[in-house]
Amino acid sequence: MSITTQAPLFSATAVAKNFGGVQALRGVDFDVVAGEIHALLGQNGAGKSTLVKILNGVHPAGSYTGTIQLDGRPISFASPADARSNGVGYVPQEIEVLEQLSVAENVFAGRTGLGTGMMVHQRKLEQRAGEIFADLGIDINPRAYVASLTSAQRHLVMIARAIVMKPRVLMLDEPTASLSGTEVDALFAVLRRLKAQGVAMIYITHRLPEVLAICDRATVLRDGQVAVRIARENFDAETFIFSMSGQRLQRLFPGHAAPVGAPTALEVRHLTVAGHSGAVHGARDINLCVAAGEIVGLAGLLGSGRSEILHGIYGRVAAEGEVRVAGQTVSIKSPRDARAAGIALLTEDRKRDGLLFNLPVGANITIGNLAPLSRHGMVRGALERSSILTAMRALNVKASSPQASVTHLSGGNQQKLLFARVLMRAPNVLLLDEPTKGVDAATRHEIYRLVVELAEKGVGLLIVASELEELIGLCDRCLVVADGRIVDEFGRGEGGEDRVLRSVTAAQAERHAIASPASA
Amino acid sequence: MNSAAEVSAPPRDARSFRRRLIGLIAVGEVGVLAAMALLIAFFWLLEPAFLSERNIRAILNVVSFVGIIAIGQTILLVAGEFDLSVGSVAGLSAVVAAKLMTAAALPVSFGILGGIGVGALIGLLNGLIVVRLGIPAFIQTLGMLFIGQGLIQVVTGGYPVYPLPEAINTIGGTDLAFGLGWSFAFFIVAALFADFVLRRTVLGRNMYATGGNKEVAHLVGVNTSAYKIGAFITVGALSAIAGMFVMADLGSGGTSIGSGWELTVIAGVVVGGVSLFGGAGTVAGGVVGILMLKVVQSGLVVIGVNSNWQQIAVGVIMVMAVGLDIVRRRYFIAGA
Repeated sequence: MSITTQAPLFSATAVAKNFGGVQALRGVDFDVVAGEIHALLGQNGAGKSTLVKILNGVHPAGSYTGTIQLDGRPISFASPADARSNGVGYVPQEIEVLEQLSVAENVFAGRTGLGTGMMVHQRKLEQRAGEIFADLGIDINPRAYVASLTSAQRHLVMIARAIVMKPRVLMLDEPTASLSGTEVDALFAVLRRLKAQGVAMIYITHRLPEVLAICDRATVLRDGQVAVRIARENFDAETFIFSMSGQRLQRLFPGHAAPVGAPTALEVRHLTVAGHSGAVHGARDINLCVAAGEIVGLAGLLGSGRSEILHGIYGRVAAEGEVRVAGQTVSIKSPRDARAAGIALLTEDRKRDGLLFNLPVGANITIGNLAPLSRHGMVRGALERSSILTAMRALNVKASSPQASVTHLSGGNQQKLLFARVLMRAPNVLLLDEPTKGVDAATRHEIYRLVVELAEKGVGLLIVASELEELIGLCDRCLVVADGRIVDEFGRGEGGEDRVLRSVTAAQAERHAIASPASA
Repeated sequence: MNSAAEVSAPPRDARSFRRRLIGLIAVGEVGVLAAMALLIAFFWLLEPAFLSERNIRAILNVVSFVGIIAIGQTILLVAGEFDLSVGSVAGLSAVVAAKLMTAAALPVSFGILGGIGVGALIGLLNGLIVVRLGIPAFIQTLGMLFIGQGLIQVVTGGYPVYPLPEAINTIGGTDLAFGLGWSFAFFIVAALFADFVLRRTVLGRNMYATGGNKEVAHLVGVNTSAYKIGAFITVGALSAIAGMFVMADLGSGGTSIGSGWELTVIAGVVVGGVSLFGGAGTVAGGVVGILMLKVVQSGLVVIGVNSNWQQIAVGVIMVMAVGLDIVRRRYFIAGA
């Protein structure tokens, strides 16, 4: 392919870095040519983020060894701003927006003067932001306040912010982590356009289908070294998994059969959740059943009301309707009631509503679960410690000790920690919202196995996941959610991703058909 | 689990990491103690009279009053809120108690209960308004500071309440040991108790969770509203108790009791490593912070520094301590 013979636009040679004696990168060669989308793969801890931080100036020149070249000339960045002004843009994985400012102001954050001076030209900003959004094919009002946007929309704002700088090299760190299918398609359309303009892109992801879909080359890092570099014509999911993990994962999804004649673990009748902050539809008249030992998936696009159903059942948001646990009607007004009824929820956003950063690993696991670990309201230290260690071992949580901070755990370990928290009370019903979001491939596999293990123990599971392949592979039964309603249902082997997308499309078309005569 | 998971996290950085963290956590209490030891040595070298029995007693006596409030403020800060009205509440509770005992001619115990009741009630009001109406604690308690000051004038008509029943003078004048009285004893017992509660009980742990991330605490079943309101009531009641101890010490229900304490208390506990952002800090740390602040103030007096410079020193120390808090926080939540 011509790409491999072209001179690299941006390259790193023999880059090495260590953190206090720990070798994070051991001499990595990496390059990207103009008009190429180059995937950077690897498990958490493989060195991807360290490499990216060197390439965009977070780790400044002098803190690493090796050379970076732009256009064939050696270059060094003192800071991310320095990298930006040299045409190297970066879209971080974490959403970093200014909630109190408008979308346009966020897109031009730090450059609201538009280079003309001290004044902020509000109208011009809005107009320019509008043009960028039109170009991206994304429907966000530049005047809206970012506080009212969904997390997917916030991510798109951040991508727009990087594109505004007209970068020659653009690094995208898991850009699709919070996007739904159609939004991913919109993003890919943008990336293809940038590619046609000759922008070199470094695409960091855990999602192999995306690599297969859009990338031209892929570099896999493992233990701070390049494990393999593959050109598009040799792309193969199995090869990626093999080179990331160093071993071949036998099956992506562990087998599980829906239990026959099992009692009902969770039954929901006429559940209605009000929508909030405009962007989210809520959920209307949801009826569903989860048997003990059954894994049920809620498939649908982001914002379809999937998460709202889980939140409504758990009492996190106000909901009307009836919830029965093991045949008993329970009144759930708050998460406290849900927990008392044996329901547990694993939330989607670990940083916002999962981890307590002020408490160490151990206390993060036992928070909310202290009643059996205490006497007369006093925590029994030895008992708490031993149950923390048991939970950490059972879920393979890798932390130096229960006293360690949760901040620097990898995404996968943070997620396993949160699993340990929700499982400590041995719930009968487990609600999982994006259980594998932002975790590496190996942890993902561990989580699949854990889900199946729990089902085999008789726990009823209700799972929301954006990756349809994952949801369909894992679940015994899938319910398709669109516009806050359940529009289709199918069992294992009765349908694939195409069926979900068809059901969603059909439901949306039907809604338009109903709406149109009324408006006419 | 499967062996592929073994490579998912680097266990190598874990140890050095842990050491670093422990070091940083330790700054909260050990760091302040070390700084205080240095300051004491410094003042003592310049002026040996700094460590005279009389001066030590004077410092501890003052610390016992503000320290009682600092206990409550620490709990409230851990729960993620703070209270600027503590000084006003202390003063108002003292004059209300004094009026109940004198003008209303009620028994001393009724007066004391009335004073505590006023403090707890204002705490409840602050808590309800902050938690239920969502008015920021800064605004609500700043408003309450002015309301309290006004009420002090309304209740007293601007004159100190005097004389007080003999029992009150006895409470204020008792010398338990080393010239320290009931206020110091109460302060020590309350501090030990509160420190234990935050450190070792389910209630304490839930308080840290509430201050660390209210949403997470709510999701794990903690009634965060109750915890916050409870913390407001606690700080109100403790402020009232401190105010009445000062009243007993003075032998009069003065209208200036508690005036200006709010900032001293917040400055002190923050110096002691209690985070203004919620969810971090200990009662021991808060109390040591107050002590350090008072050591500096007293030390500057003893070595004869101009009183204007004393103010400046207090300001500088507080800003430095908050800077330390932010740095520590950054290390904890780096990458978040």
